[in-house]
Amino acid sequence: MSSALVARAAFNRNVAAAIARRSLRPLALQARSAADTAYVPGGPIYRGTVNDPTPFPPPSKTHGSYHWAFERILSAGLVPLTVASFVTSGTNYPILDGLLGVSLVMHSHIGFDAILVDYLHPRKFPVLGRALTWVLRATTVGVLVGVYQFNTNDVGLTELIAKAWHA
Amino acid sequence: MQSLVATRSSALKHTVRGFASSAARGQATPLQKPVLNKEFKIYRWNPDEPSKKPTLQSYTIDLNQCGPMILDALIKIKNEIDPTLTFRRSCREGICGSCAMNINGQNTLACLCRIDRNASKDTKIYPLPHMYIVKDLVPDLTQFYKQYKSIEPYLQNDNPPADREFLQSQEDRKKLDGMYECILCACCSTSCPSYWWNQDEYLGPATLMAAYRWMADSRDTYKTHRMEKMQNELSLYRCHTIFNCARTCPKGLNPAAAIAKMKLELASE
Repeated sequence: MSSALVARAAFNRNVAAAIARRSLRPLALQARSAADTAYVPGGPIYRGTVNDPTPFPPPSKTHGSYHWAFERILSAGLVPLTVASFVTSGTNYPILDGLLGVSLVMHSHIGFDAILVDYLHPRKFPVLGRALTWVLRATTVGVLVGVYQFNTNDVGLTELIAKAWHA
Repeated sequence: MQSLVATRSSALKHTVRGFASSAARGQATPLQKPVLNKEFKIYRWNPDEPSKKPTLQSYTIDLNQCGPMILDALIKIKNEIDPTLTFRRSCREGICGSCAMNINGQNTLACLCRIDRNASKDTKIYPLPHMYIVKDLVPDLTQFYKQYKSIEPYLQNDNPPADREFLQSQEDRKKLDGMYECILCACCSTSCPSYWWNQDEYLGPATLMAAYRWMADSRDTYKTHRMEKMQNELSLYRCHTIFNCARTCPKGLNPAAAIAKMKLELASE
């Protein structure tokens, strides 16, 4: 009986000491431990407790189904476009030539953008990811301008490929 | 009469003796199976010694004194050679999904994976790839379960029938076949390269198939709510149709098909 009382008193004392220690813990140490448990994208620290479900970003069809459908229609559309360019000549059908140039560049832009989203997403690479996204956008615009200039002032995309093929 | 009894008993004694004495010759001798030693190389990492790098530890066991499955070998090693070897296991018949691990480069359940009896080749056993490891073959599945929770994996219907259970046509029930059997062993998710790179945002094949299982359920009325959640860049659309999920599933399910149907329904919404 008495030993149980002693044990309980000792336990209470220990708990009180632990609470006092926690409240007296230096501020710097508290700050560091908070940084240790901060959420890291893809890292070992979770958002919330283990019982919280993972959150979803705000829904946006532009980033979701519209993007996916556009990507697939573009890819599927490239097949007849390529065949048509192969059969006809770009000099006779400049619209077809222009359409092929634009859709090829957009198709490659989406492909490269998928690589960046997969491997260098800004949430994990805030500087490099953003920088490369803009480099890609600038490149795409540059290539589009180049293709336009080439199609209007020179032989055009289809003729070039045909020439390179027979060279 | 007495003599008859005597002859019978002596005859009985004779037959008994004959049966007993023939036992040694007549009964099959226990077959002495040859020793078939095979090497298992198993990933080891101890959280109590975090500075020590993970290593492959080699164990050699006699396959003829062991059950046919990889899980039998692991249990034999743990019982007889190294009790510190740590792995999850429960049902030993492929319904609990605890013993999911990477065996010879393929994610599968140890209890459903036969030991290759070619003793000249070793068998390598790793934990599920690209997961944080708790110890040895035990991966931390917290994020996986948090993601599963996020898709609300339960029936939601604000107008349940008042007087009876939900009724469903046989055709509607058939839509759930091939999805409800998933045991959430995480073999498919951890075999998916997209899940390796983006598992903090991309849900992974197991969770996506579970999400579509509730979208396809005719009794559930929250389909638009469930579909709206997937309308972003990462949760669903990081699936690049690699098909590792369908190839590795130890239950023979096809998460890739469920994801493809979900994408089609989202696009034609």
